[in-house]
Amino acid sequence: MAAMSPELVSALFLSVQVALSATLLNALLGIPIAYVLARRRFWGHGLLDLLVTLPLVLPPTVTGYYLIVLLGRRGVLGQPIYEATGWSIAFTWYAAVVAATVMALPLLVRTARAAIESVDRDLERAAWTLGHSEWRTALEVTLPLARNGLVAGLVLAFARALGEFGATLMLAGNIPGKTTTAPLAIYTAVQTGERGEALLLVGLLTALSCVVLIAAGRLGPRAV
Amino acid sequence: MTAVLTPRLQVRLRKRLPKFDLDVEWRAGDGVAVLFGPSGAGKTVTLQCLAGLMRPDAGRVVVDGRVLFDADAGVSVPPQQRRVGYVFQGYALFPHLTVAGNVGFGLRHRPRAARQRRTEEVLTRLGIADLADRYPGALSGGQRQRVALGRALAPDPALLLLDEPLSALDLPLRRALRDELRTILAAWGTAAVVVTHDFTEAYRLGDRVVVYEDGRVIQEAPRAELLWQPASRAVARVMGLSNVLQGTVLKASPDRIQFRWRGQTLEAVNSPSRSYLPPPDSPLGFFVRPEYVRLIRKDRGADDPTHHMNVMMGRVVREIDFGTTWTLQIRLDEPGEPAQGDFDLEVEVPRLVYEILEIERDRRWRFSIHRGSIHVLPSS
Repeated sequence: MAAMSPELVSALFLSVQVALSATLLNALLGIPIAYVLARRRFWGHGLLDLLVTLPLVLPPTVTGYYLIVLLGRRGVLGQPIYEATGWSIAFTWYAAVVAATVMALPLLVRTARAAIESVDRDLERAAWTLGHSEWRTALEVTLPLARNGLVAGLVLAFARALGEFGATLMLAGNIPGKTTTAPLAIYTAVQTGERGEALLLVGLLTALSCVVLIAAGRLGPRAV
Repeated sequence: MTAVLTPRLQVRLRKRLPKFDLDVEWRAGDGVAVLFGPSGAGKTVTLQCLAGLMRPDAGRVVVDGRVLFDADAGVSVPPQQRRVGYVFQGYALFPHLTVAGNVGFGLRHRPRAARQRRTEEVLTRLGIADLADRYPGALSGGQRQRVALGRALAPDPALLLLDEPLSALDLPLRRALRDELRTILAAWGTAAVVVTHDFTEAYRLGDRVVVYEDGRVIQEAPRAELLWQPASRAVARVMGLSNVLQGTVLKASPDRIQFRWRGQTLEAVNSPSRSYLPPPDSPLGFFVRPEYVRLIRKDRGADDPTHHMNVMMGRVVREIDFGTTWTLQIRLDEPGEPAQGDFDLEVEVPRLVYEILEIERDRRWRFSIHRGSIHVLPSS
């Protein structure tokens, strides 16, 4: 086995760091979105659903392009931020997190929404008649009972974030040691003929994905 | 007749629904009110409106003088603040909480010690203290019913609603739990509304019965009155009574009605509470409870006219074994179309009578119906 170069080690660590951050953001953003889509009817329901799901079907480069339009140095949000602070998210590792989050979100939201919808509504109604607000009911009844689906969704989101390539390349670039995640490093290695490095990373990513899936499978059935 | 002087519960609801419109008004006092009727008559919708889980288009709901809903005044108390306990069809116990967790769920606003004390008290009173640490998945149907009742009763609600509380159970258990439920409701004394489509359940559980059909109330009465005086053919039909028949009036007086039916001249006691005096030749609805038709024994000599009135002759065309009783379908010895398909009357006899009289072998019988057992159904 070839010794790992510092670039490879950094790419691998960056990937895990980005994927974990994106998964965390997915939990914070995606679970409330999934709940709202599952349980509430409101104006813009369809639009929100569409917006969240779109990255699943769009080519990742298209999603990446939209992210540049939104967050790039001359983007809709990016320009005011840049003018105010002199800082832009583009070509930082945060950009990789944003790209991975957006790309993983549909997987979490769709899985979590299905899990929440499968919770018997009478259980929630029972909690209301027992004096619990909708918020408390969601925290104490709906989400705990949807736990399996939420865990499965988060695992899928983590796996998707770990492998994100296209949108990351668009928004974060491929700066060695800074924004080069493992999938980008594999691409670079193959392009520059470093077959050994590519193979090593491919093997490690495959092993990591297997470990995550097996862990999730173990976790799943134990829940109520 | 038990008059309800101070109705604890006043309900008036109108709600447009996809399949029908609900438009009901009824009252209930202390004890248990049963909403009875076929599935899809609007009973569950009514409960959900009472609990605040569904919003009616119009109407008013008052419990013990407290207005929970008033469309005109724009009042709609949220379910969290109604103090209405709800026992759901299938119980809806929280599968991720223990029995104690379920029962204590509605007590979260109380201090920990008080909550614990109340939970223990409720569990002990319902005889399930030893199940406190079990999860609902590990309970029997009867234990689940008690946990569901305990959870709804623990916060001391002003009104308890039960939606088909026994429908999740199989038949033998159902009967035992029906009586247990009745005992528990009586012991706690909380005003309760029970929804059921089973007449026996309605009769056993309810002090007062409200009959629903297609989103309307077609009768509202103390249970004894309902059984003996269904307000109309519609009520008798909804109640699933057999032998709901139609004859022609000969003569009606305030205490007797004579009428013709299938070539027979029959006499019935007129309902004393309503002076129903239909003119001669007008149609007359009536019903005869199958267990009140008497077979006349062949080994007992001459008829006793005071004993045997409304005597008819017929032949058993079909018999159905219900275990402790047999139901016989009898066709009269009369030409013409039978009243109920291929038979005229349904007769229920205890198993022992069936065996002693050797009905299995002997198919032709004379039978009689006491005039007090023919119930006249005013047509309105």
